[in-house]
Amino acid sequence: MTGKELLVDIDSVQITVKLSRTRRLQIVDYASMQVHRGEMMGLIGESGSGKTMLCRGFTGTLGRRNAFISGGKIMFDGIDLVQAKADVWRSVRGKKIGYVPQSALAGSNPVLTIGAQLREALKNDKELDRDAMRKRAMELLEIVQIRRPDIVMKQYPYQLSGGMKQRVMIACAIALNPDLIVADEPTTGLDVTVQAEIMRLLKNIRSEFNTAIILVSHDLPLINDVCDRITVMHAGATVETLPSSEIEKSKHPYTIALYKSRIDLAPPRGDLITIKGQPPSVGGWQEGCRFNQRCDFVTDACLKGPHPLYLQLKPGHQTTCINHASIPHKVGSH
Amino acid sequence: MAPILEGRNISVTFGGALRKVEAVKNVDVSLEPGQTIGIVGESGSGKSTLARVLAGIQVPTFGEVSYEGKNIWKGKVAYPGEMRKKVQMVFQDPYESLNPRMLAVQAVTEAVSFHQKVSGKEAQNIALDLLERMGILRQDAIKLPRALSGGQRQRVSVARALSANPEVLIADEPTSAIDQSAQSQLLSLFNELIDGGLSIILVSHDLGVIRYLTERVYVMESGNFVEVGDTAQIFNNPQMEYTQKLISSIPGHINKNR
Repeated sequence: MTGKELLVDIDSVQITVKLSRTRRLQIVDYASMQVHRGEMMGLIGESGSGKTMLCRGFTGTLGRRNAFISGGKIMFDGIDLVQAKADVWRSVRGKKIGYVPQSALAGSNPVLTIGAQLREALKNDKELDRDAMRKRAMELLEIVQIRRPDIVMKQYPYQLSGGMKQRVMIACAIALNPDLIVADEPTTGLDVTVQAEIMRLLKNIRSEFNTAIILVSHDLPLINDVCDRITVMHAGATVETLPSSEIEKSKHPYTIALYKSRIDLAPPRGDLITIKGQPPSVGGWQEGCRFNQRCDFVTDACLKGPHPLYLQLKPGHQTTCINHASIPHKVGSH
Repeated sequence: MAPILEGRNISVTFGGALRKVEAVKNVDVSLEPGQTIGIVGESGSGKSTLARVLAGIQVPTFGEVSYEGKNIWKGKVAYPGEMRKKVQMVFQDPYESLNPRMLAVQAVTEAVSFHQKVSGKEAQNIALDLLERMGILRQDAIKLPRALSGGQRQRVSVARALSANPEVLIADEPTSAIDQSAQSQLLSLFNELIDGGLSIILVSHDLGVIRYLTERVYVMESGNFVEVGDTAQIFNNPQMEYTQKLISSIPGHINKNR
């Protein structure tokens, strides 16, 4: 990954939720990730692993969930997002970082027309007058391949299908030409065919505008297909970052287990490799590596001490597994 | 072999005279004992409606559903009497199909008491055994649904369905709302159920799940079956453009011969 400009540098980020005046729950306690300009990074993890909360760190909306960043730093294009005040956020949100929410249905305002919502997204751009805004809104709908944008502009979200709504959300996210798009499970609840179209669209946007994209999902085959690199989260911590093309050379048992439990690799009705047990409950983490109860390669050293930190294996590939050297080089196949 | 569950000329039309939606258009389905069939299609293709018709929850506009050769409808009642136990359904969303104020074991005990003539204590023991078979340990069985993960909740739903000792299980998108690791656990469970002789109708838009579990697949598009056949054959050599599109949309391209 040399030669590319670093855009996002997340270093040992911790996120804490305020449950009440005195009670605190740490939900992310070690998140590290680097994203370069124009790179497509996949962020994968089970529900409760903290991936959505990490995304909220990029949009400055943690406060709405009563959460705050309690440690580490998020640097974005030279701006420290942890220390950022409201006026800094105003210049970043939308303009430099676009956000595509998980549920297109909840993300759009039901009482505003699509045109009005796009205009709202464009409002931060002071150079546009009303006509120019309209023109740009039409242009955006064309970029996200919505047919007959003039009609869609006047429609309300309920009149659109799930896939079209998600396209509109993407149009809003790219309205101000951001350097980074954070897409939080953009295709959950959509059909596979629509999902494939949305993924193609995101890839096109990336290659056309050199936008970096962080794609969050719990679908490993999907991430592996479309992203350049993958960051794996488990129980509030990032455990491995590696290039998609090297997924078979993973050096973390959790990634390996996720990869092996893919059903498309199993013969029909054949034995499925399952990850035993449940992910540890949020905040109720055990000592040592949090995967130690579910791991096939566990040793005594995994059971003690704080959660292990990233070890750099080679450029672009980091793992937290302290036993990475003894993990079989090739992921066993069926 | 004579089919255990069969739907013939099933049509379902929603709406009134002005705006009619034909959700299912004159289709035939049949399930043999011990067989697992899959119904795939995009949202709006009518697959869930068809599943509901087979489960007797939705009244078909036309057509007949028969269980072991007998019409499932008797007047306004579907699956009257003992027949009700034979066909059970598991729904898509494990977050909404369980009573939020009932412990997992209570939810299953309720179903056991409904289907089997046993004392309360016995029903609870049966429920605990069932949950254990589903991989829910005793310590998790005494939790409320909100304290369980999506995969665990779905297994509680399956336990409820199995409490009637059914012959046929109709599962509507059982894996689409849960994580990958939970999905493989649930699929292993289905695998065991199939080995135990249960006949299953699996509705899904996830072709990976369909390919893995089913013997025969019905591909549905806007209320019609566009392609029906052996799962392996359809995945290796899809004839219709729509099926090809579905298969090529799967992340990781499942159609590579593996």
